[in-house]
Amino acid sequence: MTIRPLRKDSWWRHLGVVGTVALGSLGATGCSESAVAPDAPSATPSTKVLLSPVQHLTRASMALRGVRPSVEDLTLVTAQPEQLPAVIDRYLASPEFGATIRDLHNESLLLRIELEKFAFPSLEKLADATATQTVGAYEEPLRLIEDIVMTDQPYSKIVTADYTMANAIVATIWGLPHTGPAEQWQRATWPDGRPAAGILSSSIMFQRWRSTGFNFNRGRANMISRALLCHDFLTSDVLVDTSVDLSDPDKVSHAVVDNASCAGCHQTLDPLGSYLFAFRGQVAPGTITKYPVKFYAANNESDWNAATGRVPLFFGAPAMGLGGLGQAIATDPRFARCAAVHFASFMTEVDADQLSAAWVARLQQQFVADGYNAKKLAKAVVLSDEFRVASDTDAGRAEDTVGLLKVRPEQLGRMLHGITGFDWVTNLTTKMRQTVIGTTDLLQSDFAGYRVLAGGIDSYFVTSPVHTMNATSSLVMRNAAASAASFVVEHDAAAPVAQRTLFMASDVGATDEASVRKQIVQLHARIFSELIAADSPEATETWTLFRDALAISSDAKQAWKITLTGMLSDMRALFY
Amino acid sequence: MNRRNFLKTLGAVGALSAVAPQLLRSSEAKSQKVAASPKRLIVVLAQGGWDTTYALDPKVQSADVDVPVGTTQRFGGVDIFADASRPNVSAFFAKYAALTAVVRGINVGSVSHLEAMKRMATGTREERNADVASIVAHDLGNAMPLPYLVLGETAFTGPYAASAGRVGATNQLITLLDPTEAYKTAVPAVAPTSGEAALLARYAAAGAARVQATRGAAGYNRRRVQDFADSLERGERLKAVREGLGRRGKSLALVDQVDVALDALSQDVAFCTMLSTRAEWDTHDTNIDQSESHETTFAGLTRLLDGLNARKGIKPGTKMIDDTVVLCFAEFGRTPKLNSNQGKDHWPVTAAMLMGGGVAGGRMFGATNASVQPEKIDYATGAASASGKSLASANFAAGVLNLCGVNSADHLPNTEAFDAFVA
Repeated sequence: MTIRPLRKDSWWRHLGVVGTVALGSLGATGCSESAVAPDAPSATPSTKVLLSPVQHLTRASMALRGVRPSVEDLTLVTAQPEQLPAVIDRYLASPEFGATIRDLHNESLLLRIELEKFAFPSLEKLADATATQTVGAYEEPLRLIEDIVMTDQPYSKIVTADYTMANAIVATIWGLPHTGPAEQWQRATWPDGRPAAGILSSSIMFQRWRSTGFNFNRGRANMISRALLCHDFLTSDVLVDTSVDLSDPDKVSHAVVDNASCAGCHQTLDPLGSYLFAFRGQVAPGTITKYPVKFYAANNESDWNAATGRVPLFFGAPAMGLGGLGQAIATDPRFARCAAVHFASFMTEVDADQLSAAWVARLQQQFVADGYNAKKLAKAVVLSDEFRVASDTDAGRAEDTVGLLKVRPEQLGRMLHGITGFDWVTNLTTKMRQTVIGTTDLLQSDFAGYRVLAGGIDSYFVTSPVHTMNATSSLVMRNAAASAASFVVEHDAAAPVAQRTLFMASDVGATDEASVRKQIVQLHARIFSELIAADSPEATETWTLFRDALAISSDAKQAWKITLTGMLSDMRALFY
Repeated sequence: MNRRNFLKTLGAVGALSAVAPQLLRSSEAKSQKVAASPKRLIVVLAQGGWDTTYALDPKVQSADVDVPVGTTQRFGGVDIFADASRPNVSAFFAKYAALTAVVRGINVGSVSHLEAMKRMATGTREERNADVASIVAHDLGNAMPLPYLVLGETAFTGPYAASAGRVGATNQLITLLDPTEAYKTAVPAVAPTSGEAALLARYAAAGAARVQATRGAAGYNRRRVQDFADSLERGERLKAVREGLGRRGKSLALVDQVDVALDALSQDVAFCTMLSTRAEWDTHDTNIDQSESHETTFAGLTRLLDGLNARKGIKPGTKMIDDTVVLCFAEFGRTPKLNSNQGKDHWPVTAAMLMGGGVAGGRMFGATNASVQPEKIDYATGAASASGKSLASANFAAGVLNLCGVNSADHLPNTEAFDAFVA
């Protein structure tokens, strides 16, 4: 194995040295933009191995929907690989892609938060609401992004749209109009005349990203910059000058202008924060006694004057009000690039700073040319060779080649539902902030469920997903598989053929080898996305599991439950 | 391969582990004071940022600093700011000052919670690097079912994620280990018999072997296959030690976490644990809440050290405290002066405590001046020295690794370890 020399920039970013060397070398204005890896010169021939068309279809299906491809799609692409783009178009129109869009953006906006100090109380019109329902209010900006993407509006509208999305809970909390079924998300317009700035107009966005004390919206400003422009002030190698008395607002306000080690970032950060003064710093849920909650006050928008004294500016350029900020972000080249980075990173499970710069540039260019159509961006990602890589025959390059992608908890939930019809939900009387949790999806919950244990994020303490297995994720996967297996076997054993979910090739009670192998072939297609023959080694392995399980229990249902538990928790199911 | 990937892969691949330390050690590396015997590590996080003037870094009320009620008192060789209104603090140091090293004036260089936390926990600026407990668990205790048991909320597992596991916000891990504690679902999950479990293990191994044969021959993919195989075994072994992990329910208070941690370590379930004080430290509005948070924390620490003293160590005739290090820290401190809300905001200087095996207890290291600014120190002694060097979070983290018996140069190259607290 050859070890290539370490790049100096990487050293700086990762050493964490905060001594004088860092300041001296990088200067006080080293606010950094999250980088992608520059492509190596292509002097050597590629040693990358690409997925087969069927494997490619499977990865695209999982990345875009979190659902395994149907047997019909597997058969189609096997016979006609050129049909893959058309199949992908179908996937992009599915509601599961909308769910993926929400998942994807949550990894940058970090909104799905289940902490007691963030939970809205169940009172007044929400007296009967469960904690699961009220924490769902943090989904609002993600729902707006989903709506924009799924209705083929330009992606830039996520920061310029003149509406948001609301279900009855969200509508009650903020006083938005809502009609129809309570759980239905529908478009709604803010009644207080706030500027049209998409997710930047959202109250819950800034309830999640609170601004406390004398922070003056700086944290919020950095969140906007990091999530929408991939420019993170906090990763900069700038020393905080400890000679500045941070307890004295006057001294701080002078330092962020005059002190070189502060001004480097603050001259940009603070004017960005100045756009957000119309939003309250936070609302402590424990102090809420009635709904709706007033969170936005237009007459406070100039409070920056008495706080930081910084005129609202977007990286030095004027932009009028919150609406102007949204417009400025939307037209900033970094916005399109950042979207490309987020989509590519999420769908390949490659860290943003490890993505090919050339690939990101191509995606960005095409994204802009396509009128900021996010579906087309997603399609471009999954049809790229960078997405299609399976492995690398060069041992050195194989170290960085992500060729096995692990299902995220949210994907696992959709995958299991798609295969078995099972949803891993439970009804909990446990309370969060004096409110019963209620019916909760265990793969989409952190407070009582398994999202973090399965490698997901909780958007507060855990902000990066884990793309490998450990003891707890293994237990989650195995338990989920056992639950789904039991569910589908019991269901299909009682259902007529036309209403079965999985057992189409044979009855659950059939135990003769021919019938079972026939069923196993279908299961391999549905669960592993592989088309195999009934006498193949793969089928024989699964048949052996069934046969031996049957020998132990003498119960066909039990044997199928064991067999499906094995298949649904197999590496071939959990990675793609 | 860049620096971060180097860190990520380091230790994850056996062959690379053997080669990497030599490559990573810089010619400039200073002499390391690596503990001869490996130590387990229990980290107690005061997440939110503590006011170091409440106990660990006594100051005098002045125009530059607002201090709480109390006086500076000497416990053994350690000066602590104490008061009768904070009896748990005094009780802890009265009992365990001799085992405790207080490290002051750690320059974190950030006033952002996450940023500061990752710097203190990992010694780097990259949250995808592992924290010190994760490194110690991986390097010294990776054969255990759950080398790094995360009982609190925040942990950075980086390339060693496969060696770590969380119990969850309400200890819901138990529902996966104990059928009597499992959540109710529409149809009960099949519960395999031991014979059926053996069949499942065989099938899983065969499936993983197929993946390895097709895509998992080398590098990243091979590690994922190996992690998958290891995770199955670790998950099963966890079931066998389920009793050591407590009960499902509300979030575990610090004292409850202490009991779980002691059981998990003494029963060889885990090598390192991360605990949370679950106290309110982020006192922007009412800094006096620091008092109660200190009380909660020091009550927990007393219980923890009592437990470590009462249990047997790894070697015959020793106590658990002889082979276990306890590290307690907050990601940053709080401003010297109260703000207009009688709160204190974030301050990029913090303090930490180290207790237990191999710690040069009863001593103070590092220093701040009268207005809580960090002083330069002599790295050999930890005493303030005008000709000394700054003590940054990276230097401190490296010292903790050395204290636990992990050569910090293997993980934090070119970072001089501050390890004067290694006995």
